[in-house]
Amino acid sequence: MTRGSRLSLLLMASGPLAIYAVFVIYPLLQSTLYSTWKWNGMSEPEFIGLDNFVRALEDPLFHGAFWNTAIWLVVAIVVPTLLGLGFAVLLDRPLRGSRVYKSMFYLPITLSLVVVGQVWIWIYQPDWGLLNTVLELIGLGEFTTFWLGNPDTALASVIVAWCWQQTALALILYLAALTTVPKDLLEAAAIDGAGSWQQFRKIIVPLLRPATVVIIALAVINTLKGFDIVYILTKGGPFHTSDNLAMFMYSETFFKMHVGYGAAIAVALFLLAAIVIVLYFRQSRAAERLYG
Amino acid sequence: MAEAIATAEPRARTRIQSVFVHGFIVAILLVYAAPIIGVLLTSLQTNAEIAARGVWHIPEAATLVNFEDVLANTPTPRYLLNSFLVTIPATAISILGGLLLGYVFSQFRFPFAELLFLLVIAGMFFPPQAMLIPLFRLFNDIGLYDTLYPMIIVHVALGMSITTLLMRNFMSALPSSLREAAIVDGASEWSVLFRVIVPLSLPAIAVLATLQFTWIWNDFLWPLIFTRSEEAKTIMAGIDALKGQYNVAWASQAAMSVIASIPTVVVFIVFQRYFISGLTLGAVKE
Repeated sequence: MTRGSRLSLLLMASGPLAIYAVFVIYPLLQSTLYSTWKWNGMSEPEFIGLDNFVRALEDPLFHGAFWNTAIWLVVAIVVPTLLGLGFAVLLDRPLRGSRVYKSMFYLPITLSLVVVGQVWIWIYQPDWGLLNTVLELIGLGEFTTFWLGNPDTALASVIVAWCWQQTALALILYLAALTTVPKDLLEAAAIDGAGSWQQFRKIIVPLLRPATVVIIALAVINTLKGFDIVYILTKGGPFHTSDNLAMFMYSETFFKMHVGYGAAIAVALFLLAAIVIVLYFRQSRAAERLYG
Repeated sequence: MAEAIATAEPRARTRIQSVFVHGFIVAILLVYAAPIIGVLLTSLQTNAEIAARGVWHIPEAATLVNFEDVLANTPTPRYLLNSFLVTIPATAISILGGLLLGYVFSQFRFPFAELLFLLVIAGMFFPPQAMLIPLFRLFNDIGLYDTLYPMIIVHVALGMSITTLLMRNFMSALPSSLREAAIVDGASEWSVLFRVIVPLSLPAIAVLATLQFTWIWNDFLWPLIFTRSEEAKTIMAGIDALKGQYNVAWASQAAMSVIASIPTVVVFIVFQRYFISGLTLGAVKE
């Protein structure tokens, strides 16, 4: 390679890498530093070592946010994945108008979580919201409630809204993966007497494994990042019952000005994500398939 | 074989089956799309009608008055303009960065290349909370708080992960003889990239353009953190900001949600193919 080439390449790489280093990597390191401070954002920072992390371990609000995130993770892994798979199998057939159907099923993923949140506020609205209206209509009026304001239902309501959108993502990924299932394999199985359930269990599901790995990894990462929908629907309330870690980090930092503590929660969140990132990259086979 | 079996079956039965399948899909779709149907219904009714009958009925006289009201009496036009002013440059610059890094990572081997590449694409998975406080401080200190620049800069930086990943993979699949031939002809690396590689990479660029546009347009966290005034808020932050003032005006909020979603829905409908192959990141490709 000539010197000119080398210089050009160095120039090409240095701009984008510098931007990435200054606005992604460096702030990440700074957050780590802040997490060792007792600091309200304006005061003189006081170095307190790992005290913020110890504090988190003893903070019932942190515990609440942590377990809510854990519940959220389990539901986000199971529900959109199964619904997406069901919808995908239903839509993956030569059918007149199937393209239109598919587009309509995809629609939620193009919407902002702000709009998704807004839409679900209407569903959960206590007086004329769809959920209470339907419950009245089918004679289950006793179950109507102020969904987002009731400590028993707030978290579940937020998670349902979230799953609604994520289902569209799982559906898109499964539909794409289904096109790689060789149809002659299914035909051969049918000739050998395999029913459609058996074909589904023994052929389709195993062949969809790489897609499932990707969908679950995305579900975990998106859940850990999930902030917008909580902020729009409940801001973590009532009484922190619908807090997740991302929301808790925000309210500690910007509502209570516990900036050092907020940074520690952010670092904890990053470490959780890092575990997933490492596991995910190790699944290199699936990753290679995914990224071509 | 399957076709032979299908034609052997009585036609009437296939027909009934297909009606059944269609009916089943439409029924599920009605439930699944109920939230979207609801917001559309709300946006087409007057507040008086909602107050009297609730949202969930066919509007007696569909009206666009809410859309007119929102566009004329709220800062929505300004929010929309800001969203475009953030989304378009951030999309373009992040793709440019991806072209440059993708080229370097796909065409050359150098020490720590693999590690550096992983570090860049790992950014896709970082929770934004982990960068939030330092970035907030930084833009405050340099006087860019409450302007559009922090959002553009952060989206460019964070977008580098996905754009680099896709461009590197796309360019790796191009034959290496393309570059070699051009270099032998005396072309510089810059002209190889922009005259030879980029024209061939248009499909990948289209994928990234639709994805980045959608994500940046829909973003809420960064405008929430970096802006305060009407002059700097994007539409998604604007919806949230106006919520307080319009607490009872459900119809206006619905109209605003619809307006805010039009650009991404249009992009999605027009570029659906690119959008989906972007989301699946080549999962279809063997």
